Amino acid sequence: MFESVPALESSLDRAVRPVARFLHLTLGLSPNQVSWAALVASVAAAIAIAMGQLHLGLGLVFLGQLIDAWDGCIAREFGLASVAGQRLDTLIDRLSEGAIFAGAAVAGLAPVKLIGLAFIAILLVSSVAERSRFDPGVKRIALYFGLWFPFPILFSVIFAVNLAGYVVALLVCDIQFQLRMDRLGGDLDTIASRAALEEAAGARTTADPEAAR
Amino acid sequence: MTIISHLLATTLGVQALGLRGREAVLAYAFGVAVDIDHVIKAPFYLRTVGMRNEKGYYWRSSLQEPVAFLWIVPLCLFLGTAVPALFFGIHLAMDYAVRYEKMPWYPYTRTVTRGVLTRYPDATKEIVLATVLACSNLFLLWNRR
Repeated sequence: MFESVPALESSLDRAVRPVARFLHLTLGLSPNQVSWAALVASVAAAIAIAMGQLHLGLGLVFLGQLIDAWDGCIAREFGLASVAGQRLDTLIDRLSEGAIFAGAAVAGLAPVKLIGLAFIAILLVSSVAERSRFDPGVKRIALYFGLWFPFPILFSVIFAVNLAGYVVALLVCDIQFQLRMDRLGGDLDTIASRAALEEAAGARTTADPEAAR
Repeated sequence: MTIISHLLATTLGVQALGLRGREAVLAYAFGVAVDIDHVIKAPFYLRTVGMRNEKGYYWRSSLQEPVAFLWIVPLCLFLGTAVPALFFGIHLAMDYAVRYEKMPWYPYTRTVTRGVLTRYPDATKEIVLATVLACSNLFLLWNRR
């Protein structure tokens, strides 16, 4: 949940470690099973919000986020962290937001177009987050402010922050590629195509080191 | 293309469509100011090339590639105007008529292209287009009076 803020993530890990140990050692739950449990809580939150039970819904959103913090903690604490697990976690996060936002749309908390745009902006950030390692982190967490502020404003904020975050993430990727081109040197007229080939070869090696050998 | 050509094309579009206020600002932002990404690349140029004038350096970024439509179209829907997408499209079309390398969909794909009309010299295309745009701007301005 807070991968983009390592200091916050480690403090959170310390706070939820006892529960994570209980879930894994006593109940025998894997990080992936905990991730799916977070989705169940989020779907329950979506249903509650859609039925007009805003306080209950936001409580369940919080529960979903809490469970979502446990899966990462279990993975790190017991050396079970993997790229596949991280991707599943991201997928479940997006499914959770999709469900909660759909619930908000059904309840009429904000215009459907605005909620859809906020979700699209979140998907755009996610599509490059792994590569850019940049994610502004303003997603369903903003909905808690719905207790004090109108939801259309909150969804506008989610949209604006994530869209701006996507532009920054694209620029981060560009700068990474620019550094690769600058290291490569040589004929500037063909620098992009040569750097692209080099990057593709690097990606193949990372994906399958045995085949690359 | 040079910023002068982009400025002429955007001014022509703004005049032709009769844009005012916010719409005109958006037109210039997405038709001309997207070139601001060259400023981001300047420190890298200075570090790699130094103060000398070296042609062919990769000045482009995703801010002025087709991949930017992924955020510009949602922005248009949010603002309720097609002006950003339209003027960004004009900016792109002009840039893709120059033959230097471009990566239209980076970081999603590493496809590299040189764009269209690559058989004709860039300087010729630039001069012809700038002349046509300048004349069209003057023509519109004259007609308004």
